[in-house]
Order: sequence, then structure tokens, then C-alpha cells
Amino acid sequence: MKKSLFKPYRWAAVLAVLLTFSFVFVLLDTFVIPKNVTEVKQREATEQQNTASEKQSAAEDPPESGSETEAAVTDHSYQDKNIKITIDTVQAYDTTFYVADIRLSNASYLKTALAENSFGRNLKETTSDMAEEHQAIFAINGDYYGFRNNGYVLRNGVLYRDTARQAGNDEALVIDGHGDFSIINENAVSADSLTNPWQVLSFGPTLIENGEIVVDSTTEVSQSKNSNPRTAIGQVSGLHYIVIVADGRTEESAGLSLLELAQEFAERGCTVAYNLDGGGSSTMYFNGEIVNHPTDGRSSQQREVSDIVYIGNE
Amino acid sequence: MNSTEGSRQIRKTVIVYLILTAVSIAVANIYAQFGHGVRSAAMTLMFLYPLLGGALFYFTLGLIVSRISDRRNYRLFYNIYNSGIAVLTVGSLLKGILDIAGTASGYVQLFQVAGWAGTAAGLGYLIAMVFKSRKLS
Repeated sequence: MKKSLFKPYRWAAVLAVLLTFSFVFVLLDTFVIPKNVTEVKQREATEQQNTASEKQSAAEDPPESGSETEAAVTDHSYQDKNIKITIDTVQAYDTTFYVADIRLSNASYLKTALAENSFGRNLKETTSDMAEEHQAIFAINGDYYGFRNNGYVLRNGVLYRDTARQAGNDEALVIDGHGDFSIINENAVSADSLTNPWQVLSFGPTLIENGEIVVDSTTEVSQSKNSNPRTAIGQVSGLHYIVIVADGRTEESAGLSLLELAQEFAERGCTVAYNLDGGGSSTMYFNGEIVNHPTDGRSSQQREVSDIVYIGNE
Repeated sequence: MNSTEGSRQIRKTVIVYLILTAVSIAVANIYAQFGHGVRSAAMTLMFLYPLLGGALFYFTLGLIVSRISDRRNYRLFYNIYNSGIAVLTVGSLLKGILDIAGTASGYVQLFQVAGWAGTAAGLGYLIAMVFKSRKLS
């Protein structure tokens, strides 16, 4: 046995098999095999959170009253007594992007959902499938938390992961029970020290903070190219939000840089804006239809992601 | 094995490692084309393992220790050391794939540890082999 292993190519053959097995295993473990799966929990203090939000909403910019029982819906708008959404298509920077103006009466209508209604790694569904399962009126892809082992995950008031990212300057978007946005540094603020958190999204970078654009033309997501499909969310005032989803990586639409994206939020009066997962993940869903043209530059279809941000009554 | 065969074996090893260097560069560039131009240092620089740890190392070894491949235990060193370089190269490719995708895995470090351990063990064995033969001669 020992001698046969030392014959030319025998050792190499055994090593090749072991390396191939290890290589494939790591890829499957990282990208395919679901892990650490727990079912989505309901927040015990939902009632309390709703009450706080209602008090806040009374003082802020309420949506115009629609019918008490029925929603007024067009191809580009939705309005009921609690939710008002208008979607515009904009052409600029050789790019098509979609701007949703959202006004709510209560922060509880700004929700998130996890793929397969569970928290865990490598759990994936398309944005539209998740939106339909939750009767969402409007939805966008989230931060793709299930693609990483760290970064805060707090959804609908429930903390699922309190591990900060490793870079040291990673910022997370916190949406509190009143629906107000703020930015935290994950290495400076622990997830369990947050006061009345409703959602925490961990991707970034921050586009606008305290009314100021905080990215420049060299800022990028990891090693991404400058122009890309993008998804981002911003806050104008209490319970008034802007969501932008940009098409990209096609001949018809180049995609936005982070600075261009930030400028669009600034023009619309956002005081806080935050970049979410983009590229092939970028998807905007409205009233049963996909609004944008999701693509990773090769195939034109929705990428399965691990979470969505949505607006819904249910 | 005579000395001519030994030189030929070293030369063959250097050529194989040069081919692997070219393959590593090609893989990194082809992968970048499919990754929207996104690159990872781990993948871009993985060619250094076969180039420096392979081709240059064996070329130098052939110059410094003549007829090294004629030694009785050369095959054991050869297998262990080459395994280390192979594991480091594959680990670098894997890290590059994960970097470009924007994710990570703790298993990548195991490739680094195993690769460097194999390389160090091979070198240690080589040094021991050379000194032992000098003592005998």
C-alpha cells in the first residue's frame, strides 16, 4: 500500500480526488446547503410597537384619506387609508430607475420577510414569491443576510443575529418602532442595545446621513464595478420614504454609481438613505408585478434572495 | 535513475509548473470576465504559488543541489511539497470565488493551514535529506 502510493501519479491522483471533494464541499456549504435554520418568530411586543407608531404618525404627514374599505389602485399607484405608494420611472445617467414614494400611517406597515419564513443560511426565494406569500402591496429585495455569517439581522422586532461584520466600519440601517431611520456602526453599537428597534438591515454603505451625502465617486460595494443595478431606501420625514431600484448591466440601462444613487435621494429630500443588496438581486415588486428588469448581466430573471422589505396590510 | 534522467525530471517539473502558472492566470482572467470585471487579489495572485513555489523553486533547487532528484527519498519530498503548493493554489482559487461573490467561509483557512503545513513539511524533509547525505559522504 505504502509503496504503491509512492509510484508516480498515484499520490497525485489521491490528492486530486481529495482536493476536488474539499473544493466542491466548501462551495456547496457556502452557497447551497441550508444551515442554522429557525422558523420566523413573532414579536411579543407587537401591540406595544404599534401603539408607539400610531402616536408618532398622528403628528406627521399622514397619507391622504382614501376609501375606508377599498384601495385605489392603478398601474403605478396604490392608496388606502393607511398606505400611499406612487411609482415613477426615471431616465438619467444612461439608466432606467424606478422611484417609489411611500407614505404610511404606521411603521408596522413597513415590514420584512425571510425566505421560506425561516432564518438561516442559504435559504432563498424570489422577491415576488416572498411578496405574494405575505400579500405585500410593494416589495424590494433586502440585504441578502443569508449569504454571510455576520451582520445584524433584526426583523419585525425580533433579533436573529447579533454578530457584527468584521471590517470595523460596517454600517447598519436601523428602523425604529416609529419608522424613523438611523445609521449605526456595527462595531460600535451592539444589536441588543438598540432602543425600540423594528428592523435592522445590514448591507450598505450609507448614502445619506443627517441630510448629507456621505459617499463619493470612488465609493463602492466591496469590489463591485461602478455602475450597477441598485436597490436603496431612504427616509424623507416621519413615515415618508423613498425607494429607488435601478436597472443595470444591460445595453438599455448602465446602472447607477453609489454617488448617483445618493444624489437622487438627496434631490427628493431624504435625510437618511441606505444602499441594500444590488446587482442581480435588485427587484421592485408592486401589486403582483415586477416593476424593474432584474438581471445579473447574463440572464434576465429574478435572483433568489434571502429576504425582502415590503409594504403590506397583513 | 541516472543523472541525465534526474535533470530531465527537474526540467519536466519546472515546465509543468510553468504551464500551471499560465493556467492560473487564464482562470483568474476568465473568471473576472464572468464576474462583471470584479476581481479578487486571492484569485489574481494565485499564479504566484505555481510560479514561485513551483517553477522558480525547482529551477533553483536543480542549480543548488545537483542531481537532487536522484536521491532515494526524493519522491517523498516531491509528493509532500507539491501537495502543499497544490492545496495553497486551490485554496487561493476558492478564496477568490468567495471574495468575488461577497461571502466567506471558515474552511478557506483550513486550505491555508494544510497548504503551508505541507509545504513546510516538504522543505523540512528536503533539508534533512540533503544534510543527511552530506554527512554520509
